[in-house]
Amino acid sequence: MSTDIWVWIAALLSLAIFSYLYKDNPVFRFAEHLFTGLSVGYMIVLMWNNYAYQYIVIPISQQRWITLIPMALGMLYLFRFVPKLQHLMLIPIAITLGIWNGWSIPVVIEADLFKQMQGTMVNTTMFQNPWDPHNGLVVGLLVVVGVVCTVLYFYFSREHRGPLKVASSVGIWFVMIGFGASFGYTVMARMSLLIGRIQFLFTEWIHLIK
Amino acid sequence: MKILEKMSSIDRRVIFLLVALAVIIPLVANIGLPSRPGKYTIEMYGFIDRLPAKSQPLLIDATYSPSMMPELQPMLKAILRHCFARKVRVMLMTLDPNGPALCEAALREVAPEYNAVYGEDYVFLGFKPGSSAVIMAIGENVRQAFPADNYGKPLSEFPMMADVRNYADIPLVVSIAGSAITQGWVIYAGTRYHASVGAGCTAVSTADYYPFLQSGQLVGLLNGMKGASEYEWLNQRNGYSTARREAGKGMDAVSIVHLLLMLFIVLGNIGYLAGRRAAQKQ
Repeated sequence: MSTDIWVWIAALLSLAIFSYLYKDNPVFRFAEHLFTGLSVGYMIVLMWNNYAYQYIVIPISQQRWITLIPMALGMLYLFRFVPKLQHLMLIPIAITLGIWNGWSIPVVIEADLFKQMQGTMVNTTMFQNPWDPHNGLVVGLLVVVGVVCTVLYFYFSREHRGPLKVASSVGIWFVMIGFGASFGYTVMARMSLLIGRIQFLFTEWIHLIK
Repeated sequence: MKILEKMSSIDRRVIFLLVALAVIIPLVANIGLPSRPGKYTIEMYGFIDRLPAKSQPLLIDATYSPSMMPELQPMLKAILRHCFARKVRVMLMTLDPNGPALCEAALREVAPEYNAVYGEDYVFLGFKPGSSAVIMAIGENVRQAFPADNYGKPLSEFPMMADVRNYADIPLVVSIAGSAITQGWVIYAGTRYHASVGAGCTAVSTADYYPFLQSGQLVGLLNGMKGASEYEWLNQRNGYSTARREAGKGMDAVSIVHLLLMLFIVLGNIGYLAGRRAAQKQ
């Protein structure tokens, strides 16, 4: 077993959190409150050191007065709590939105729309090995059918009848398969977290796993 | 019939206990289920494997917090082992304020295994707030985003950084993240600055990134613990690492738990159908 006091504290708090799986109890609530308090305290220090100190205190102490402009703009957010002057809060929001939209719109359209449409298209390389599960003609056609049918499922300007109904019914199957894949991955992710904690308990605490 | 009906109302604590056993037993018993790398892990591995030794450094962004460590920390360590074994230089950075401690922990463990020298084989740029703004700043000049390393030493003092100006001098950006920041790397670094981008993500977000593989916007993808396990396996097969396979061991448990959950889903549905049939009869 470990002789490190911090490993023991971490292990006992992990067990305290796991105790909730049986039922709610004071030990779990203690660990929960401790975790919440520590996290908030840690984040405050982290935010002060990494943001406020670095980007406000240091520049101002070095007499870089231009820092006061973004700082003043940021502080306009605080007018959220002054009902008569709430509209001032819109200034930093407008500036942020303007800058981000200017930065993002052209590249997002290219990356998320044009490149994705390009990725959906059947191309000549797919004919070389039609059954390739990653870049074959069959899977390429499946992607085209899947994208078109899924988009049609979300087309609500016309009643889903006739061919549109058939296409949207196919589309919902693709959506469900997508959700199923996401769910499977989510299970794996959650289990990975549990495994990580159990590995810690059995490796670093009681040294049962070498 | 009653047994079938009871299947849909098993006490959740029984399920928790069985899941706990399904995790603990494979970890302790060291089952060693077969695990072979997938196409996208191989592509990522191959890309790094083809980089010449002692050339321009690749950039790894490890943007995650301790809650994602079981999936992403083994991934970071496996990629570092691969790079250090092949003498591929590394710049490590993070866009998460919790990240520096995790990056330093990985470097402390991996660098001594390969006698990697700080400043010659790798440099730790540290944390910088601003996410996408930082990604774009690197596109102009890495010194604009990171004038100094995590410890305050100017980048100009590192010989390995002498010829590194922006993405044009970085052969690959690897985004290991538990958030949507990978998309930021694809959009800004990949699309705007034409950088090659690879990704390692938590399993939850894997499905979101598959479209970027299809379109060629990602050179490879490591998905959660499975991706990390596959990368560890490739490292060992090629003789780059003899370290314990953290994620590989975890994958045994993941496989057993998945089988158990599938069993629960089947039993639950049988119980549900049996209950519905009984209700119809009444």
